Amino acid sequence: MGKSCQGGSLKLICGVALFASCAAGQWLNYPAPGIPRLPDGKPNLSAPVPRTPDGKPDLSGLWTNDADPLGQRPVERKPGDIVLTPQGKALQRPRENYFPGARCLPNILYLAVAPFKIFVSRGTVVMLYEHDTTFRQIFIDGRQLPKDPNPTFMGYSVGKWDGDTLEVDTSGFNDDELILPGPHSDALHIIERFRRRDFGHLEIQATINDPKIYAKPWTITVNSHLVPDTELLEYICNENEKDLKHMVESK
Amino acid sequence: MMRRIILILSFGATVAAQWLNYPAAGIPRLPDGKPNLSAPAPKGPDGKPDLYGLWEEEKVQGPYQIMPLLPSAIKPEDVILTPEGETWQRQHKEDHFLDAQCLPRNLVSRVRLEPFKILPLRGTVVILYELDTTYRQIFTDGRELPKDPNPAWWGYSVGKWDGDTLVVDTTGFNDAETILPNGRPHSDALHIIERFRRRDFGHLEIQFKIDDPKIYAKPWSFKEEAHLIPDTELLEYICNENEKDLRHIRVK
Repeated sequence: MGKSCQGGSLKLICGVALFASCAAGQWLNYPAPGIPRLPDGKPNLSAPVPRTPDGKPDLSGLWTNDADPLGQRPVERKPGDIVLTPQGKALQRPRENYFPGARCLPNILYLAVAPFKIFVSRGTVVMLYEHDTTFRQIFIDGRQLPKDPNPTFMGYSVGKWDGDTLEVDTSGFNDDELILPGPHSDALHIIERFRRRDFGHLEIQATINDPKIYAKPWTITVNSHLVPDTELLEYICNENEKDLKHMVESK
Repeated sequence: MMRRIILILSFGATVAAQWLNYPAAGIPRLPDGKPNLSAPAPKGPDGKPDLYGLWEEEKVQGPYQIMPLLPSAIKPEDVILTPEGETWQRQHKEDHFLDAQCLPRNLVSRVRLEPFKILPLRGTVVILYELDTTYRQIFTDGRELPKDPNPAWWGYSVGKWDGDTLVVDTTGFNDAETILPNGRPHSDALHIIERFRRRDFGHLEIQFKIDDPKIYAKPWSFKEEAHLIPDTELLEYICNENEKDLRHIRVK
């Protein structure tokens, strides 16, 4: 095996077509404890939401966005919601040739099609992303967002519970990355609402607020499902990189 | 690397910034409020030492920058290349610049260069590395190492306790990276055994044993020492940002 199992998008194929040969590989088929099962041993993905000792929904698990294996964007968005300001329109044109992904710079992460893992521990929600093998920390220990942080690609995140929904505030972005279908500025503020509907389903609603670029906030919904009994794979964007030389800067 | 400089030179200005000075809960304090780094090592619910914390290698102030200490215990006479190892090193020494290409840094570099956070979780110890904003999972749920995995930059890790020491086995590497800064080679037969021991609240020892029979005549070991850095946080580290090096690299 080996090469036939490379890459996140091939995971599904491995699971279905090459079950026997992948089973001994990189833990692609490793039964996880703590997953409710149906009589036939399959995970019961519509079982109730598990809870942490404080009674809050436990978001822990390995998740992947609902998308077809060809990587269709797993994002629901209403047309007409996204209205650019004049400054936003001006920014959009020069950025047509701006491909952070091709340069292996961080992408906005909700749009990644690769799986991600959530842990909840010690006042922090940790998200491990297969995409670029990177992570994010959401602090739920009551701290405030930093007032004047060093601008970053991924921003700074704090979260608090609103009933059974974890509401996460993120700000402190640089103006260097792209949110489909347009740009953003350092005024970007994202509010995400994480809701685990049942054992196997997680909904993430993200409201994008950037008054410099968008005339009004707009919201996307990303639906994810649990992927039981498997593991994240290593994902190294720069490996065998061949794209950069073909990129031409626009005048 | 800039963290310490920022703290020293512009303390007032950064307090409100990216959580560089945020008092953490659960840290034993001296009467003056400073963390008591020689308090006993905390224990997890299972009675094993709790490795949780934000750690940083001991560093020295060099002529140009703050450098990590050299691995204290590498004895050159222990590191004996096989003929295949010598060939490998000759071929790769001059044109193999993983850092400049923003390719993954190895397990040793990642603890040596920048802070890292250890998070013991259910059946897994997760390490979050500031270097390259990346992570690693060490499975402590009893699973075996995979038999024929896809070769990976960082391999596959499982851990188990030997008394108060977490012993971590890692295999399944590709042969593309180097084990230490300055280019000690390895092959896909590499097997790394790490021994994590929290000596007290503020001090963590990691012993590395490098076993690669294709490249080295015998296994060799060295020890890294880290200390807890309380009340602060990891920073974002994006290697590709404003990248200017690649065009200057010539491959023969």
